[in-house]
Amino acid sequence: MMEKDVVIKAENVTKRFGERVILNGISLEVCRGETFVIMGGSGCGKSTLLRHLIGALPPDSGKVYLLGKDLASLNEDEMDRVKKKIGMCFQSAALFDSMTVGENVSLPLREHTRLETHVIETVVKMKLELVGLRGFEGLMPSQLSGGMRKRVGLARAIAMDPEIMFYDEPTAGLDPIVAGVIDKLILDLSKKLSITSVVVTHDMKSVFSIADRVAMLYEGKALAVGAPDEIKKSENPMVRQFISGSPDGPIRFFQQKDDYLEHLMK
Amino acid sequence: MNLKFENKGETMVCRIDGDVDINTSPSIKKLFDKALAKKAAKMVVNLQGVNYVDSSGLATLVEILKNMRQYGGKLKLSNLSPKIKSLFDITKLDKLFEIASDEEEAIASFI
Repeated sequence: MMEKDVVIKAENVTKRFGERVILNGISLEVCRGETFVIMGGSGCGKSTLLRHLIGALPPDSGKVYLLGKDLASLNEDEMDRVKKKIGMCFQSAALFDSMTVGENVSLPLREHTRLETHVIETVVKMKLELVGLRGFEGLMPSQLSGGMRKRVGLARAIAMDPEIMFYDEPTAGLDPIVAGVIDKLILDLSKKLSITSVVVTHDMKSVFSIADRVAMLYEGKALAVGAPDEIKKSENPMVRQFISGSPDGPIRFFQQKDDYLEHLMK
Repeated sequence: MNLKFENKGETMVCRIDGDVDINTSPSIKKLFDKALAKKAAKMVVNLQGVNYVDSSGLATLVEILKNMRQYGGKLKLSNLSPKIKSLFDITKLDKLFEIASDEEEAIASFI
């Protein structure tokens, strides 16, 4: 049997913010070329997990390996080298409003390479073509719609040809058609360019259209990990409730610490 | 990365060994600029020894093609591995470059 080419590995990752346990011993593996979706409700720890996977937050305990490297053991230069191999697409697109679309996309190339300006301009055209926005180089982010801004953010994230792409809520706040366009783009980039993708989302339509495997997080734990079909058939009542979007079920929506009336009188 | 230029009749042949990526592209571009200073009319770039080309490598090849076209020169590529050929297909550069299966065919196709 061919050995799995694991490019991301989390081992028993635990994180607290104050008294709150955000990640409670999460272990998972992502293989090269697959699209791995981390889903779960708001506040379940999925964005925090993503920040651990890219080395932006250190775990309180446990380990994260990215492209075979234990992130905790890397010095600044080694970390920079690993970070050049990953791309991050933020929920807000995180474009620089004072820069044109072209300048935003070319920023990592201007900062991190010795490429000539003309070569960089050609790379920018190629990346914008991939996201369907070639010809928009001279526009300012304020002149773009939300979906277009996300696509520019995506073009910038792939400017350096990352081996792994991380997406934080890529379809949040978009209408269903634009969300579908973004999902297709994620799939296209994964399949055409063989990029490994990790997508954090609570958009169930996205989950089942793009994922090779899914991890469902709840209260800082991975409740279920598997192919979308396996997750759909899961007997776990919490997974079932999340998929059906039902307000009633074992997942508590409100997190009160004590009785409301008592609390008012305190 | 290693790069060799050789004249084969009226055609200048360049053989590249190694990756054409973000680290090597700047020096590859400089070597081509130097080699093409005398405005070679015909050039074949043999990519047999190339395992990996990234976007900056593709963009560098596009820039070399643009420079040659500006003075009326012709550029052809040869010996692309299936992986690199598919990269040209995905980025639609297969329609921009003339691609031959091997060096001899590329040289012979110049009329």
